[in-house]
Amino acid sequence: MSNIDRRTLVRGSLAAMMAGAAFSRAAFAQSSEPILLGVSGPLTGPNAQYGTQWKQGFDLALDEIQSAGNINGRKLAYSFEDSQSDPRQSVAIAQKFVSDPRIVMELGDFSSPASMAASPIYQRGGLVQFGFTNSHPDFTKGGDFMWSTSVSQADEQPLLAAYAVKRLGLKKLAVLHLNTDWGRTSRDYFVKAAKEHGAEIAVTEGYIAEERDFRSTLVRVRDANPDGLILISYYSDGALIARQARQVGLKQVICAASSVYSPKFLELGGEAVEDVHVGTRYFPEDPRPEVQKFITGFKKKYNGLEPDAFNAYAYDAMNMAAAVVKIGGADRRAIRDAFAKVKDVSSVIFGKATFDVESRRVKGAMNAELVVRKGQFALWDGKPT
Amino acid sequence: MSSWLDYTINGLIVGNVYALVAVGLALIFGVSRLINFAQGSIYLVGAYIGWVAVVQLHTPLPLTIILVAAAAALVGLIIERFGLRPLQNSVRIAPLLATIGISFVLDQLVMLTFSPNPRALPSQLPDVRFQIGGGTIGPLDLLIAGVGITSALLLFVFLRYSKLGWAVRATAQDRDAAMQMGVDVNRVNQAVFGIAAALGGVSGLLVGMYYNQIDTAMSLQATLKGVVAEVVGGAGNVPGAVIGSLLLGLVESYGVAVFGTSYRNLFAFLLLVVVLVLRPNGLFASARQAPPEPLTGTFIAPSRPVRIPRWVLLVATGIFAVLPFFPVSFYVLQTLINAWLLGMLALSLTLVAGTIGQVSLGHAALLAIGAYTSALLSLTFAVPVGLAIIGGGLMSAALGTALISPSFRLRGHYVSIATLAIGEIVSLVILNWESVTRGPIGISGIPPLSLFGYELVSPISIYWFSFIVMVVLALLQGRLLGSHLGRSFRAIRDDDIAARAYGLSLNRYKSLAFIFGGFAAGVSGGIAAHLYSYINHETFNTQQSILALTVVILGGLGNVVGAILGAVALVGLPEVFRIAAEYRILIYGIVLLLLVRFRPQGLLGTM
Repeated sequence: MSNIDRRTLVRGSLAAMMAGAAFSRAAFAQSSEPILLGVSGPLTGPNAQYGTQWKQGFDLALDEIQSAGNINGRKLAYSFEDSQSDPRQSVAIAQKFVSDPRIVMELGDFSSPASMAASPIYQRGGLVQFGFTNSHPDFTKGGDFMWSTSVSQADEQPLLAAYAVKRLGLKKLAVLHLNTDWGRTSRDYFVKAAKEHGAEIAVTEGYIAEERDFRSTLVRVRDANPDGLILISYYSDGALIARQARQVGLKQVICAASSVYSPKFLELGGEAVEDVHVGTRYFPEDPRPEVQKFITGFKKKYNGLEPDAFNAYAYDAMNMAAAVVKIGGADRRAIRDAFAKVKDVSSVIFGKATFDVESRRVKGAMNAELVVRKGQFALWDGKPT
Repeated sequence: MSSWLDYTINGLIVGNVYALVAVGLALIFGVSRLINFAQGSIYLVGAYIGWVAVVQLHTPLPLTIILVAAAAALVGLIIERFGLRPLQNSVRIAPLLATIGISFVLDQLVMLTFSPNPRALPSQLPDVRFQIGGGTIGPLDLLIAGVGITSALLLFVFLRYSKLGWAVRATAQDRDAAMQMGVDVNRVNQAVFGIAAALGGVSGLLVGMYYNQIDTAMSLQATLKGVVAEVVGGAGNVPGAVIGSLLLGLVESYGVAVFGTSYRNLFAFLLLVVVLVLRPNGLFASARQAPPEPLTGTFIAPSRPVRIPRWVLLVATGIFAVLPFFPVSFYVLQTLINAWLLGMLALSLTLVAGTIGQVSLGHAALLAIGAYTSALLSLTFAVPVGLAIIGGGLMSAALGTALISPSFRLRGHYVSIATLAIGEIVSLVILNWESVTRGPIGISGIPPLSLFGYELVSPISIYWFSFIVMVVLALLQGRLLGSHLGRSFRAIRDDDIAARAYGLSLNRYKSLAFIFGGFAAGVSGGIAAHLYSYINHETFNTQQSILALTVVILGGLGNVVGAILGAVALVGLPEVFRIAAEYRILIYGIVLLLLVRFRPQGLLGTM
């Protein structure tokens, strides 16, 4: 149980003291109209699966918000516009949201090119762009209307490095990463942290998102003779790599980033992902009440389906949006200011989430060290595999 | 040393997988001289039908294969009957556009039925592994190889020794002559599409089982790799397609071995360009073989363009120019800004594809070159944005023309494939040349548009800026087409031998067209970079190239006004269909198909 990182709590209470009593509860115009959030994300195109997962997370959070009596009596709702994660469409959507007075803030987009192309429009239009999957280090530098709860890779990767190097005792690592802005940034943070822990990086290989065949890459990995493989991957490519690694006879320990944390990883990987280690932000048996509420609620709403990381990001984002709207009301500028005021929002990923006003991000993600045992994610028991 | 054996085996295994798609493509190309962009979608359909059979119905493997083959063949027959046969006597390029539309529709149907989440497709073969070199292969590898090689052999025998096979080859050589000899050309086409689709479906099933994973995004990648393999082997040559696929697999594998994983596709596309330049008919074409395209330019058939009275154009320009004075939302203006940017790209493509006949499928590369040049000039060297955009246009003109020049000797479909490859190469170079392009991290903080020190940040000023730039480019292009240069361009398109006999230097004129076109596209990319403030290697992707070609064909090849009209239509339609949420791309695909069906020469006709 001691695996849960308690730093957050300490930090949270510190932040609470500093934030002081700066609460200002805006007077709400009593209205039966729901408070509308705009969502820009992919529902068709190559990233459509992530948009679908967002929706599941949003809808669950909205159900809970509604049964908790809405926000000062007003319902919260969202309008989801399909951008296909294409910058050309996300900028048009941005203008649409900015010029629609009913929209009080925006969530998304998914990919960095689509999100950051729209940032100038949101910034000039004075509408908050709340990018909850945007880990690109420059995303929140777009302006003071850009806020993100995406786990900063500067936070996440050292945790993964500590798991791989200090806890699992791996000394010579091969890093396979998605060659996108996310994968590249993550790799750099991981390599830095792993080296600080005294590990050697034998080889790093970046692959493009559409890649399906990794056999030749794995020969390179084998020739570098590492004692562990690090996957900075999403669940579909992570499962492919694990399968092919086992097929070509690589028996090294595999340790993967939290983005593979999905029941799909187990389904797609089959036996090959047995004993794969995953550093995540929460796990099914996690005793934290917010996690239990999320998991049982999700399973109940979606016929026993297990939630994954992207569901959790979306669920957290909607809860954060609700907390911010509660303070800021329906005024766009007040909502931006509310991001700096909101504190200790219950969160699956962070435990208690409070923004760092300087970077407009949340620091101190929770940490859980999992391993796949008998086809299920389980808390790592400390036994070597 | 043993590693090289492993790389070789891995290359062959992957080549094996590519071969399944390539054989189907080769068959269709052999008969109808058509790159079937829907082949990847049939492969997708096959994979999902296989999933239903395996996971829901629990059919044994032989039955699964038969089911998938039959269902995919049925899809192929429907495509042939309703999508392509009505276009038989229209412009040669119309069926190409139709297959793109069909692939949209099929992909979307699968996505809507099965959701975009990836699914596991468990293999039904025993999980035993055989040790070869440092790695292992399994029974599925053997089955895939077996299916690939057997189908290629069967097809070879069928084409060479059966009566229907002769009919197929006769049709491939000369459709009209075959018809005069009593060959039922439609039946031949049906047979070919049925066989190719069955093969495509089965390959989707097997590849899905191989990776234990199917998802709706797999279709475009399958088509791309299949096309590369097929052309390397010699378009339309079935055994060549198999060997081309194996070669492609090997080159990729060795590329990974020497330079690392992120260079993999770079080698695939370089191989393609090299083969095209050195042996345009593919590695295995015999010297006696007739040229793959007709000698004169029936690829782009002339049609009578719609004459638009000058006053209509003036009124339309006037209306769009004063539009921001009316109460239109910024959303409408932003959508039109996107249309003007796409319009500039379409002007460029309609010149090189329509006027001089070099149908490019890699035009997004010109956008990317312009965008990166302009972004880096303004960021690194503090060049004023207005000048930086012009710099982007010039760089795009110079670099684009230099990159494409080796393939000036190619014709018809081969130009498209070479440009497709060059487009991919540019994107991969951007990804890998980190010291200049910042690789996957991309370039952020690009300064906004500005002119003479005034920042253009409001949608209204950006609207006017992009509209004026587009109108100026369109007027220039109109002037160009009316001059002797335009007539020379069209002469080269319509009959390059006659043009050469008349003393026109083909390469020079093609270069001129690409220089002008490259400039327009580069300017469009440059403006986009400053508009978005962030770009990376994914901003200007293959879908953009395909969209641009769709715009140009829709508007009418070579038609300046048509290009702009097409851009407005294809940016506008998906926005109009927003109300339909997930269904919008499906509706878009169907509208596209209907337009091609009833107006194959484009809305305004070829100029």
